[in-house]
Order: sequence, then C-alpha cells, then structure tokens
Amino acid sequence: MNRSLRWIAVAALALFCAPSRPFAQPGAFGGGYGPPLVVVPPPKTFATSEEHYKFLLAAAKGGTKHTIASVPRWDGLWVTAGNTHMDSFIDPPGFTGKVREGVLTPPYEKAYKERWRQQQELGEVQYDRLTHCEPPGYPRWLLEPYSHEFVNLPQESYLINDFGPGIRRVYVGQEHKNVFGTHSWYGDTIGFWDADKLVTNTKYLLPADFTRWSPMTSNQFESVETWQLKKYAGDVERLEVQVTFYDRHAFIKPVNAVYAFRRGKELEAAGHRVQHWECETSNNDVFDKGTTTSRLPGEAGFKDARGTTLFPELPGQSRDPIYNTTLPGGKESK
Amino acid sequence: MKTTFGMLGSAFLAFLMMASGAMAHHSFAMFDRTVEKVATGTVARWQFNAPHSWLYLNVKNADGSETLWSFEGSAPQALLTRGITGSTFEPGATVTLSYCPMKDGRPGGGLGWARLANGTFVNPSDGGCDGSDNAIAKWKGWMAKGYTSSADAQKGK
Repeated sequence: MNRSLRWIAVAALALFCAPSRPFAQPGAFGGGYGPPLVVVPPPKTFATSEEHYKFLLAAAKGGTKHTIASVPRWDGLWVTAGNTHMDSFIDPPGFTGKVREGVLTPPYEKAYKERWRQQQELGEVQYDRLTHCEPPGYPRWLLEPYSHEFVNLPQESYLINDFGPGIRRVYVGQEHKNVFGTHSWYGDTIGFWDADKLVTNTKYLLPADFTRWSPMTSNQFESVETWQLKKYAGDVERLEVQVTFYDRHAFIKPVNAVYAFRRGKELEAAGHRVQHWECETSNNDVFDKGTTTSRLPGEAGFKDARGTTLFPELPGQSRDPIYNTTLPGGKESK
Repeated sequence: MKTTFGMLGSAFLAFLMMASGAMAHHSFAMFDRTVEKVATGTVARWQFNAPHSWLYLNVKNADGSETLWSFEGSAPQALLTRGITGSTFEPGATVTLSYCPMKDGRPGGGLGWARLANGTFVNPSDGGCDGSDNAIAKWKGWMAKGYTSSADAQKGK
C-alpha cells in the first residue's frame, strides 16, 4: 500500500511539475484548448518595432482598406486560451526551472533572478502591480484572464478586457500621436489590415512588471502584433496573437511569443455581460510584513465594496441595493 | 508513509501553483493550503465582485458569540461557468464550507467548496483552497465521520 501510494505521488508530481511545455499549455491562463500554440517569428530581425511594423506594412502594400461590410468580425465574448509567454524567460520544467540566460540585459536579468527567487522560495513575488491597485496595463493585458471583447471597425479596433477596465484602441491606417507628452498604461497603438490579419504597433508605454512571474519592463517597451482568427479540426476556433516585444533596456534581442483567445460560449450561456470593475473602492489586498494579505471587515483601511457612498445620510446611497447588507467598518472619509 | 504524504503534498502544491495561474490576481501565500477546515454559519454578504469574490459568514463560537469570517473565492467570470451567480448565497442563509485558513490566524481563509442549505455542493474556490469534485467527495466521507479538520481526519486514519 505504502509503495503504491508512493508511485501515485511520483506520477502526480510528474504530471503537475514537469510537462514538456512547462508554462504554455495547459498550465497558463486557459491553455490546452486546441492544438499547441506555435510561435511564428518575424521574417527577419529588426532593430526597432517601428522598422518591423513598416516592413510588414510595405509587404502588405499599404494594407487592406476594409469597409464596414468587409472588416473581420470577432463579435461576442472571448476568454484566454493559452500563451507561450513564460517559455521566453524560464527554462523547463516550469516553476522549478531557472531564469533563461541571454534574454535579458544584465540589470534586468539580475532583477528578474531576484523576482524568481522570491517566487520559488516565498511562493510569491514582492511586487505585483495589481496588489498595489495599479492597472494591468500592456503587455500584461495580453494574458489577463476574465472576459474580452474585440470590436473591429474600418478605422479603429477596440480590444477590451473585463478587468481594470483595459481598453486598447487600435487606430487603423494612422501614425502614432503623443499629444500628452508622456507614456501611459496602454500606450498608443496603430495598425493596418492585411486581408484578415490585424497588424499593430504599440509604443509610449509605462514601465511595469510584465506579469507577476515575469521580468520587469522599461519605458522603451514596444511591440508588433499580428492578430488572426484561426480554425482547426474539431470545431476549434482561436484568435491568435503573434507578438514581437522590443525593449532596448530590458531585452538583449527582441522576444517572440504567441497568445490566444477562444470564444467564451459558456460565459454567454451563463448570461455574463462585461462590467466595469475597478480597484480603488474594492481592493483590500495589501503587501504587509513581507507577504500579500487582505484587510478584513472592521480592520483599519478595509474598503467596503458594497457599502455606502461618501454620503450615507442621503437615502439610496447603498452600493448593495438588492440585499442592503452591511459589514463592520469600511467607512470612507470625505 | 510520512515521505509519501510529503510527496503527495508537494504534488498538490505544484497543482495549486498552476491552478492559481488560471484566474488569480494576487498571490495566495496568505493562506495555509496544507490545512483544510470546515465551518458552518449564516451569510452576512456574498460579494460577487471581480477580481475576487468574498463570502462573509457569521460563525458561532463555542461560547455562543459570533465571529464574522471572510472567505475569498474566484472571480465572477469563473464562477458563472460553474453555475454560481450573485444570488447563490443569500444573506441569512445557512452555509457549510471548507477553507484553508489565513496563516496569521485572523478569521478568514481561501474558500474551498460550499454546501448550500438545500444540500447542494458548489465550487466557488480560486487558488486559495481546493473546492474540486475530488475535495467534495473526500470531505463528504470525512464529515460523515464528524471531522471538520483535514489534520484530524488524517490523524484518524
């Protein structure tokens, strides 16, 4: 019996810890749907994202000029369907693997090795922007879970994530603009259509952590994406995003990855509609005494997401109008 | 035997690390996922909010007083696909649930499975505790023997 249990344990360890593709599928954010994701690198090496984008634009002869009738439609709800993200930065076998050499510049590699040590030894990294109530931003947007919507118009595409909210706007057939004179969480994205493929170029981004388990990125992080709806045997339909990331401060050379989405039919069937979720009035997660934790009702600083507004003396100020529940503490100050 | 359980524990932790990547917006290091307990109480609020839902439950203490407990579950976008909505736990309803306690001893934990007043089991868990069908089956057996703690149940084997 003891021996049998030991073999079960070994098998379980092998199953969970050492898949041949450690993070891509099925371990990462909805992975395992459809055939394995395959990274398609650009046809040649480019020095900058702008050079890469202009090459693709020229190859597409200025791009396809879609009309409202011909522009590809990606209607409905979508959910993440895997990515090869972590394969770019960590060697197999996944969470017990080591930081890959030769990808990051020395200062970013040193910083990432420390983050990875934290993840492996403490079970979490000491900085995660969401714990601090910062927006997911780009590039994290690419692999955030929750539902997504993609609205294509001939002159603009809206790429929406049900978290934050994270809305990216792709200005089709236009040049970059930065009238604000600074960078932002989602930057500025331009694009063009190449038949059924949407090619984008994003720049003017804020520095951040790529994701919780990933390296930091700099304010020179840029990308070129190619979005395409692909169909496979077995009625598998997947929106795939081939991406090349550029960051002259963080990367020794450009990094390629692929991200995917599938239709969220189960969410549609359950009646889900995309909401505006925000952090400021509801997030009780804090980093305290060396670990992530949550403030509980009655504790100092607890935010009551379904309490009242700043004007409780007025009738109708509960943010829980159906059940009208109350919790201890959580009062906001004016 | 101790080694075997250690290996099983490691496998489970590895599973949780991968599973937590599914919907998590923060680390689950605050919860002791090696321990599972069961509590029964009345719903103070079911906060069906993204990126994490919270079930607030008034639980009676041995001396008759009540403590408000806080249990963190998954995001609505995940729970909807498991048949759980914003009305699943109505205020005042009696609920029995499993949880992995907060390491610092405060009255809270990662939510595992929950049993509604009509006896139906649902899985509102995120990466903080195991609410799977396997966990429900395991706990049905343990609860039939009167256990409310995985540690006690394992000792009683």
